Amino acid sequence: MKKHIHEIRDPIHQFICLTTDERKVLDSRPFQRLRQIHQLAMTYLVYPGATHRRFEHSLGVMELASRVFDVITVDENIHDKVRYILPPDQKKGYWRNILRMAALCHDLGHLPFSHAAEEELLPEGWDHEHITAEIIRSVEMEKIWREVTPPLRSEEIIKLALGAKESKKLKLELNDWETMLSEIIVGDTFGVDRMDYLLRDSLHAGVVYGKFDHYRLIDTLRILPKSEDETASTEPTLGLDAGGLQSAEALLWARYFMYSQVYFHRVRRIYDIHLQNFLESWLKGGKFSTKIEAHLAMTDSEVIVEMRKAALDSKHPAHTHAKRIIKREHFKVLYELSPDDRNINPDSAKAIYEAACAKYGKDSLRRDKYTQEGGSQSFPILHRGKILQSTVLSGTLREIPVVATDFVFIDRKHLENAEKWLEKEHKNIIKPTGEID
Amino acid sequence: MERLKRSSIILSLIESLLEENSWCGETHIQKTTYFLQELLDVPLGYEFILYKHGPYSFDLSDDIMAMRADMMVQLQSRSPYGPSIVPGPTGQQLKELFPKTLKKYEGQVKFIAKEMAGYNVADLERIATVLYVILEKGKTGREETSQMALYITKLKPHISSEQACTALEQESQIRDKAKELAKSS
Repeated sequence: MKKHIHEIRDPIHQFICLTTDERKVLDSRPFQRLRQIHQLAMTYLVYPGATHRRFEHSLGVMELASRVFDVITVDENIHDKVRYILPPDQKKGYWRNILRMAALCHDLGHLPFSHAAEEELLPEGWDHEHITAEIIRSVEMEKIWREVTPPLRSEEIIKLALGAKESKKLKLELNDWETMLSEIIVGDTFGVDRMDYLLRDSLHAGVVYGKFDHYRLIDTLRILPKSEDETASTEPTLGLDAGGLQSAEALLWARYFMYSQVYFHRVRRIYDIHLQNFLESWLKGGKFSTKIEAHLAMTDSEVIVEMRKAALDSKHPAHTHAKRIIKREHFKVLYELSPDDRNINPDSAKAIYEAACAKYGKDSLRRDKYTQEGGSQSFPILHRGKILQSTVLSGTLREIPVVATDFVFIDRKHLENAEKWLEKEHKNIIKPTGEID
Repeated sequence: MERLKRSSIILSLIESLLEENSWCGETHIQKTTYFLQELLDVPLGYEFILYKHGPYSFDLSDDIMAMRADMMVQLQSRSPYGPSIVPGPTGQQLKELFPKTLKKYEGQVKFIAKEMAGYNVADLERIATVLYVILEKGKTGREETSQMALYITKLKPHISSEQACTALEQESQIRDKAKELAKSS
């Protein structure tokens, strides 16, 4: 008998089941490429276990997306005030298919090493979401969508995979139901993209703080109005039954720990910058191609092969940057924004970076400023039949800090001198100078 | 406009909203910033989309998150609604960095706070939706109120026809006053 359900073992979700249609996506060239795209760029140079790829993450997102869908669309779980956004019952199966395909495809456009510096590494007007959309509507993928019963519309897969913000750039507008479904994947607080990467990154990096009870969390997710009060917002959003509050607290703390321990780790950040410099020096015009064939042909493997070659060849245009990575000669932290300095001048790191550039030359300095994205602690909770705000019910949610970094890195050959210089000049440099304009 | 400069204007808007006794949650800031940028021409550079209940900017949301990280603003939790956003310990230092910018847009910020702080969140969502429809959907605002209301209720079914008419009237009043402000300055 022909098999219609296929199972794949996974370290987070044990078994992930796929239909034959989904298996066709899995076997497609764009999806197979994700086997060669590291989920966490060069984080493995700091956390050696973090060598996992976008391939397994995308499968995990698909698995979690349909688990959430199956919970929030059960009739008894739907709050009366938001019932209007749901499609008729006979359409739910179609939307479940769209959601799973969108989850499976949401990362297809990622650059090698999942690199975030898309403004620098892609032509103007392009980002990885735009490439994802181009792949989803490509001839190869359209054939798969047409063969599903009923056929799936690629524009709907794109909208759910990218979410409202990115879709707008492609002139695609989402209705309320599509927005809700896209939030299942890319949502700020309870999006399953974030849930899966926290669990998976935590496992592979060996940083146990990233764990939380996602089974309980998903079982208690609900579509709720933000408030029942007619003078407040009744906008439908993903919230929780009160029984899941502790698992939501654990999720948001896990996120805080993973940002501060892994994603914003100083050495990981500087390797990312050296990699960007390498790519800008090596790639034609300093940019990746946005043509689908070229995109599919370019993975981490191609970049690593070139980088190893460049590190050995002093005439290679990217030799210096490659050597910094391959020989582990990365720049070192000269300065990290402190709360005391921030109290004097919120732009202290910029002032120090500019002063250090003037003294040691721009080539010897790098600045890295980054703030965590999303992760709102405020969401509705259904508590004994009433909608309450999470930050009113939970003391710990109110206290979760926002993680941000602001580093100035310097070529290690200048480090000792620069540290002495900075100790002497620090106060003068960060003194606010007033508005120039 | 660079991030810190933008943030200083958002902070001054927050202070003005609080002075006018607004709850000043994220939705208040989102919708009033939309008016500040689109109607009063303060060049903040935020991209707004028509979200489930009105215009919303993910970039502004990220900026507010960054302002929290830099302790320029902080959350203040009060029952029964979501948290208020209030100035934080480094808010004053931020403002001292951009005195000229703040002076330049003071009139617009105060105007928006005065005109809009009194509206509740549900009103703000509807009024901002009206402005979005006028600006983005090519509606002129000169169409018959009933036609415009019909269009809005089709676009956003959670808004009743009566609510749409009221929002159209409220938006029109703010727009007229904004024109007067522009003439006088």
